[in-house]
Amino acid sequence: MNLLIVDDSTVIRSRIVRILSDPRLGFIRVVAMAKNGAEALTLFAQKQPELVTMDLTMPEMDGAECTEKMIALDSNVSILVVSALSDKATALKALKKGARGFLYKPFTDEQLIEAFVELTS
Amino acid sequence: MYDISEQDIHVFVDAVSHYFMQITHEKAEIRGAFLARGESFPPTFDLTGMIKISGKLRGRVYFSAPRAMLARLLLSMHESCLSDEWLLDAVGEIANTIAGNARRHFGEAMEISVPETMSTPPKWQESAVRARPYVILVRWKRHDASVIVDIEPTPSAEVQT
Repeated sequence: MNLLIVDDSTVIRSRIVRILSDPRLGFIRVVAMAKNGAEALTLFAQKQPELVTMDLTMPEMDGAECTEKMIALDSNVSILVVSALSDKATALKALKKGARGFLYKPFTDEQLIEAFVELTS
Repeated sequence: MYDISEQDIHVFVDAVSHYFMQITHEKAEIRGAFLARGESFPPTFDLTGMIKISGKLRGRVYFSAPRAMLARLLLSMHESCLSDEWLLDAVGEIANTIAGNARRHFGEAMEISVPETMSTPPKWQESAVRARPYVILVRWKRHDASVIVDIEPTPSAEVQT
């Protein structure tokens, strides 16, 4: 499965790539990375990934708006929101906009692996 | 009128403790939480991440740490790039995580900005909303860092906690 990573932090993008080297996630391939929602939408249209990890607090276009626009383009995409915003209302809003999962930062390697496994099973 | 309480500040203590435990699997020692003295500015270190707070609360939340601590944190995440660009990214992400986690307590009425990062001490005089911001001192692997919570209720707004 093809994955687009969307996060404004270089450290987080790199960490997600490293965690994907776990053998349990061997079926996932990173096809693109974006540092804001606007860049993510362009790459989404070009690469047509089946999976997306989505930060919420980003410059230019935030993750909530980007999620809504991606779902409008392809309702089959599986979006995992990965955000530090830890209130329930934010998670519920993201799920209403079409995200299929929500993982709170800071996350452990194992938590991200489990989230991917659950999202794709 | 509602003001930030000790219980509210404990949310930030929990957030920074949780961060180190999740990322490094090691406890960070909380060395103290106190109100900055009026005559001296809160302690900051080499690099600082800052989050602007708006909505029903206003002000800023800072995480400040020495390069050496941030480098060790990146190494604990198996990152080998330890340039200033990466260290600044890390300090901003930690500030963002601490402020974002505090929304579990304050709710979505606490709006947070994207991180701003700096390698010079913040200019308190230009931005402080409190005469005495709260300071949380953290130690991890013999390196000291600080979380500075300079927030207050926005006038005429109520906060449900």
